[in-house]
Amino acid sequence: MAEPILKIHDLQVAVDDTPILRGLDLEIPQGEVHALMGPNGSGKSTLAYAIAGHPRYDITGGTIEFEGEDVTEMEPDERAALGLFLAMQYPVEVPGVSVMNFLRASLTAVRGEEVKPREFIKEFDEASELLKFDRSFADRYLNEGFSGGEKKRHEIMQMALLKPKFAVLDETDSGLDVDALKVVSEGVNSLRGPGLGVLIITHYTRILRYIQPDVVHVMIDGKVAQTGGPELAEQLEERGYAEFGPAEAATA
Amino acid sequence: MASPAWADEARETARATLADLPALTGREEDWRFTRPRDLMLEGPEPEAPGAVGDVDVPEAGQRAVRLHLADGAPSEPAITELPDGVVVGELGSALAEHEPLVRDRLLKLVGAGDKPGALNAALWSGGTFVYVPAGVDATLPTETVTTATGAAGRVATRTLVVVEEGARATVVDRYLSPDLPGRVHASTAVELFVAPNAELEHLAIVDWGAGVHHQMVLRAQVDRDARARSVVVTLGGDVVRVEPTMQIVGAGADARALGLFFAGGQQHFEHRVVSRHEAPNAYSNLLYKGALQDQARTVFYGNLIVPPGSPGTDAYQTNRNLVLNEGARADTIPFLEIETAEVKCSHAGAVGRVDDEHLFYLKSRGVPEAEAKRLIVLGFLQEVLEHVRLEELRHELEAAVERKLT
Repeated sequence: MAEPILKIHDLQVAVDDTPILRGLDLEIPQGEVHALMGPNGSGKSTLAYAIAGHPRYDITGGTIEFEGEDVTEMEPDERAALGLFLAMQYPVEVPGVSVMNFLRASLTAVRGEEVKPREFIKEFDEASELLKFDRSFADRYLNEGFSGGEKKRHEIMQMALLKPKFAVLDETDSGLDVDALKVVSEGVNSLRGPGLGVLIITHYTRILRYIQPDVVHVMIDGKVAQTGGPELAEQLEERGYAEFGPAEAATA
Repeated sequence: MASPAWADEARETARATLADLPALTGREEDWRFTRPRDLMLEGPEPEAPGAVGDVDVPEAGQRAVRLHLADGAPSEPAITELPDGVVVGELGSALAEHEPLVRDRLLKLVGAGDKPGALNAALWSGGTFVYVPAGVDATLPTETVTTATGAAGRVATRTLVVVEEGARATVVDRYLSPDLPGRVHASTAVELFVAPNAELEHLAIVDWGAGVHHQMVLRAQVDRDARARSVVVTLGGDVVRVEPTMQIVGAGADARALGLFFAGGQQHFEHRVVSRHEAPNAYSNLLYKGALQDQARTVFYGNLIVPPGSPGTDAYQTNRNLVLNEGARADTIPFLEIETAEVKCSHAGAVGRVDDEHLFYLKSRGVPEAEAKRLIVLGFLQEVLEHVRLEELRHELEAAVERKLT
């Protein structure tokens, strides 16, 4: 088995002093695609934000290691520079900042050196084509006026451009129609390989039909309750989260 | 050529008024935020801090005319191309050379009735005169750069623009200096006459170095179905007070006062922006956005005035401020004085911080915090720049703001 790209040990996270993650362990070997499923309120998105380093998610215990390096206390931009990426459930609209300027700043920061304009345009066009964006998107303001589907496609387009070593896709499938889901999934699949680990966070199995996971985890009440193969997702599809106990009853 | 007698008389009258008007104390309602003595509106003439060498005037884009007023001293304009009948000249020379065009208008919008006006009317040494006859298109910009070198303690200039019926013009006033070893006081009066169905875009770019204290009064008179835009970009200077007024005198006019500012260090900027609807069915929009950091202080005062007899008025006023750190302070005072029924008016003022979610989004893509804030501030100010009609000027302004933010 490959070395883990992400190793989370006994992670405890609170939001506004309310504990959400209660000792979560998770290991993802480089090159694998893992799915994290669970009912609403089980802490899936909290995990996504904690991995990315959102300041509102207070890590009260445990560690997050990325490629063997402890990133628990790092700023979000430092984590991104190491090769970590979060495709957000609700991409933020940033008024007046053009997609082009944003992505150039982002690519420059992640690469650690100035990207030549011609080289940037080439890579920008490639990523745009992969996610079915036309050039006019470059001049639009970041996520402003984007439809729900465009926002999600744009997240994956950024992933294609930034070429992270590890990506968390936080409910990328929510709010997508079938066509957009296919575009997004094809984008992710084309980036799959030995140099990319992926954690797909989802409530439903729908996206997993397009992006086949190697491993499926079930999260209940701030912890990983079960880990299995792709067949685990099928079971959840049929039976729901009921067998995992009373936490489900409250959130169904 | 000697200036005509009426012009000398006007100067004398202004001098007398300046001496007669009671001293401003800072307790007046209009002077609560910027101390009059910081603008040296009276008393002995300020001493020159000493020249520090040439001013670096950045290469601007294509211009029809360029005029450079070093320390406000008159000079000859460099004319690239001008349509027939258009006059662009130094204002002092125009007093005699274009007397019939200047005489009825000079001091009519920004007169000598108060201290700042009287000071400028008495002391102005150079200026810009632009005249565009009816129906002529002069949208290729005319630009005047007024510089302070430190060789003079006071730099007083005026701009007079007349755009006749159905004509179009773009006029840029840029104010520049290096960082100076002491104070220089700049005084500016801008008078803009926009005739029926005419169109004018005026840009004032205040980009002084350290040491400059600047008082600017700008007034546009906007006639029937005319379109007038004043854009004020305030970036440099220790103390800057700008007072633009859009005075609508004809029905159906469209008047916009747009501004953006970025203040840092100990800078103090005050913008007092007014639109007066003296005619029915006109549109006005005041939009000022600013960002500030360090210990900077900014004040926005806005007023929409609709006297009786202006039904159908459609007027908006918005001021938003982005405060980048504790210690910087922005005040916003949006005001309305409406005495006509059947008008549509709105006003809004806000002071906020950089949104944590915006910052996180950019940082999560690798952009370090300082660069992320810079992008967010530029984006915040972008809304104002979008209103600048000429694309080339818009890009120049973007570049000027970016330079300031680096």
